Amino acid sequence: MSSKPAFKVLGRDTQRQDGVAKVTGREKFASDLSLPNMLHARVLKSPYAHAKVKRIDVSAISDPTVVTLTPDEVPDARFCPRLMSTPEATYKDWTVLTSKPRYVGETIAAVAAESEEAAQRALESLVVEYEEFTAVFDALGSMEPGVEPIHDYIELDEETLKVESNIACHLEIEEGDTEEGFRQADHVVERTYRTNRRYHTQLETKSVLVRPEPNGGVTVWSTTQTLHNTRILLHEIFGIPMGKIRVMKVPIGGSFGSSIQVNPVVPIAVALALKARRPVKLSYTREEDLHDHCSYQMIFKLKLGADREGKLTAGHLDAWLDIGAHQIQAYPLLGCVVGWWVSLYKLPAKSYVGKAVYTNKVPSCAFRGYGNPQITWAVETLMDELAEKVGVDPLDFRFMNYIGEGDLFWGQGPSVKSVIHSCGVEEILTKGAEMSDWYNRPRAETQTGRHRRGWGMGRGYHTSSAGAPVPGTVIDFGGAMLKLNEDGTFDYVSALMDHGGGTLDANAKIIAEELEIPHHKVNIVRADTGTTVYDVCTHASRGIYSGGGAALKVAAQVKQKIREQAGNLLDAYPNALKFRYDQQREQAVVYAEGIEGREITYKELAYTMRNKNLGTIAAVDSYRQPSCPPHFTGYFIEVDVDTWTGKVRPLRVIAGADIGTVINPKLAKGQIHGGLAQGWSMTVNEDTPYDPTSGDLWNRGFISDYKVPTSMDLPSLEAFTVFFADTYEPTGPFGAKGIGEGALNPVAGAVANAIQNALGVRFYELPITKDRILEALKRKEVEA
Amino acid sequence: MKIDVTINGRERSFDVPPNTLLLNLLRERLDLTGSKYGCGIGECGACTLLLDGEPVLGCMTLAVDCDGRTVETIEGLGDGDGLHPIQEAYLEEGAVQCGFCTPGFIMTTKALLEEEPNPSEAEIREYLKGNVCRCTGYVNIVAAVQSAAGKMR
Ligand code: FES
Ligand code: FES
Repeated sequence: MSSKPAFKVLGRDTQRQDGVAKVTGREKFASDLSLPNMLHARVLKSPYAHAKVKRIDVSAISDPTVVTLTPDEVPDARFCPRLMSTPEATYKDWTVLTSKPRYVGETIAAVAAESEEAAQRALESLVVEYEEFTAVFDALGSMEPGVEPIHDYIELDEETLKVESNIACHLEIEEGDTEEGFRQADHVVERTYRTNRRYHTQLETKSVLVRPEPNGGVTVWSTTQTLHNTRILLHEIFGIPMGKIRVMKVPIGGSFGSSIQVNPVVPIAVALALKARRPVKLSYTREEDLHDHCSYQMIFKLKLGADREGKLTAGHLDAWLDIGAHQIQAYPLLGCVVGWWVSLYKLPAKSYVGKAVYTNKVPSCAFRGYGNPQITWAVETLMDELAEKVGVDPLDFRFMNYIGEGDLFWGQGPSVKSVIHSCGVEEILTKGAEMSDWYNRPRAETQTGRHRRGWGMGRGYHTSSAGAPVPGTVIDFGGAMLKLNEDGTFDYVSALMDHGGGTLDANAKIIAEELEIPHHKVNIVRADTGTTVYDVCTHASRGIYSGGGAALKVAAQVKQKIREQAGNLLDAYPNALKFRYDQQREQAVVYAEGIEGREITYKELAYTMRNKNLGTIAAVDSYRQPSCPPHFTGYFIEVDVDTWTGKVRPLRVIAGADIGTVINPKLAKGQIHGGLAQGWSMTVNEDTPYDPTSGDLWNRGFISDYKVPTSMDLPSLEAFTVFFADTYEPTGPFGAKGIGEGALNPVAGAVANAIQNALGVRFYELPITKDRILEALKRKEVEA
Repeated sequence: MKIDVTINGRERSFDVPPNTLLLNLLRERLDLTGSKYGCGIGECGACTLLLDGEPVLGCMTLAVDCDGRTVETIEGLGDGDGLHPIQEAYLEEGAVQCGFCTPGFIMTTKALLEEEPNPSEAEIREYLKGNVCRCTGYVNIVAAVQSAAGKMR
């Protein structure tokens, strides 16, 4: 239980400020924008999974107004499109266009024309000659001797590295004596797991509009999670002074990690716009988008040991990350995979060998949870198996071993360590068990008949930002500006992006809480790189903990300035002044308690200061959060498995989340709803397999063949319960933590355990499709 | 080809190539970008709008097929400053996250509630199944449809 202060603004549902624009169709996303005199771009994508471009002939384009762009016309600098790590952890193997395509769909050339149709026709007139190389589609196969190298050289911190055995990077960690730990174990289980390769299916395809400016600069509107890193990267590639690159904030139609990196469309459109000296728009088709990004497919060999009481003694993890043809954030991910793993349960001794491996597939990038859903699925599956061996209930087994308050936590990798100060795990698991009647669930193997039911649980967490008391290889800080307007409202200006979860509204509410005003008095300004201080990116579920931390910091500074100025005008001691909101006047009032007449509203203060030439009350600052508090989640899920068709249906879902202070209850629940939906289909539906002959995706870029869940596939309203634990994070703004990724991470483990509970069969490969279920049932029958 | 179409209550005439899609006509010629491009091939429902009151996919409809007919897009909903009850319900229930799917959902909802003012949850889910939302898990969307139905009764 926590001792939460009583809030006036936080914890109540409020209407999001961009809401009216969004429900009236007036919101303009990057893909909706256009400019007068704009050209439309199309890109030439490699039909081969691995090849060299020997020649590109543009002479057959009959339309003389078409602008073309080929690999030798773009800067040849190698770069990494994701700039969240320090230089010694940023591997560079990308170029704007390539003459050595390494996956089907890699961009070789681009054209811009008066219409999209004209651009497409020009594209079809390009003549390209390729020399094909053998391609490899499996991470383990890719490391075999004699396999065609995908990259010869890459760059790290100005140094050139030779790539050996297609291993992009690797990381090994050992803490404690693992061998001894396993010797002390009475029970050891080791399993190999293989995850799927999922596509984000963010509803808006990657898009950008670029306007070249007369000063040699560019203005950019793009699908991005980070304005400032977009600017830094464009500066590094094109050498344009940063002040002449303006990256504008536009709402994003879903992202889920797929725009942490600067999307490849951005530098291409910039190069085209600079060459054409006209605005250029490049918006991917869905097929192109499906060939642009996906999640990391992972193979784990996971081994855990426990003593006879059920205490874990040691763990070892081998992880192979299939990263596709380029590195977006493979090295930081190697650190996170081990971080996610060791921060779930206490392991007195642990060792880890992680390898990130190139394959000739679409490059993988972060996808909500950044490897956490993958490893948590494996761990939560194995924890169930090990509990069975030890002879304790899987839930009790988790109670005995989870990492919670007071423990060291390093989810974001070995260089981001901090201590946990708030933890709702007990509450989540206890309530969830009660609500699901956990201890009376059916036992595996006891059911017969066509339909079998099972309950499963899974728990997990995600970080709230990547903060820590000392710097590591992860860059994580943000900032905000806040100013008092003459009517007593405030402008909140930040580079932070809202992916749709209501992050910026939450931060506006944090400001409103501090300044004793209603939420609508804090106006969220859509700004750009020129008018905001640096914010690293909206990722790692940091929007509220870190972005809200920055908002609170400037709000407190503004409040102090209000005190001082009001103190002067009222002839009162600033630190004695109090604040309240006057509903009738619709103004916050600063006053000296008990002294009549000594009060002034924000509006009067701002106007008086204006009229007396005293300036504007404003604050701008950066904020680095001191910690990396996990937000914990737990799912109890009941499924029905049809043993004739293999179809799995969700019957009940009980989800608990510890997110500290809840700021927007409906929207916070919405994160859980979305997390469940994505986790559900991660477990039973989604994958992007490859045709080894053509080297292309089997689904060729169709979302119908990719199977994201529809409204028909998910539990009914009544069957889906979400609750929040009563916690308060002492390092968070008004006690708040993140939610976005923890909402997803444990789902696959819970669903997989429920399927096991229904059928008595364990699955070690995702997704657990109908076919796999039927196959496993058949195998079981044969064995019996 | 010359066509006359009533769009959001206003009669308009166009001269379009026969392969022009209704979605592109709206987005490119009228800057009515509320109808979204999510896939272009009828898979996601982001471009849903009403043609003579029936929900259709703008990306699968030829502009020339709309000659003499009435098109209603998200921009035509509500009256000036006021929101339509469906729009209100979507906001109140937290059914809008990134909002990219929202116009399509709202137009589908309108068609549903005109056909069936009292839909059951199962009917709502069935009717919405052609609209993809990747953010909300459909929970608050279904709740918003129920609430809108209540408001419109
Ligand atoms: S854009 Fe029309 S259905 Fe997707
Ligand atoms: S709200 Fe983002 S896709 Fe539906």
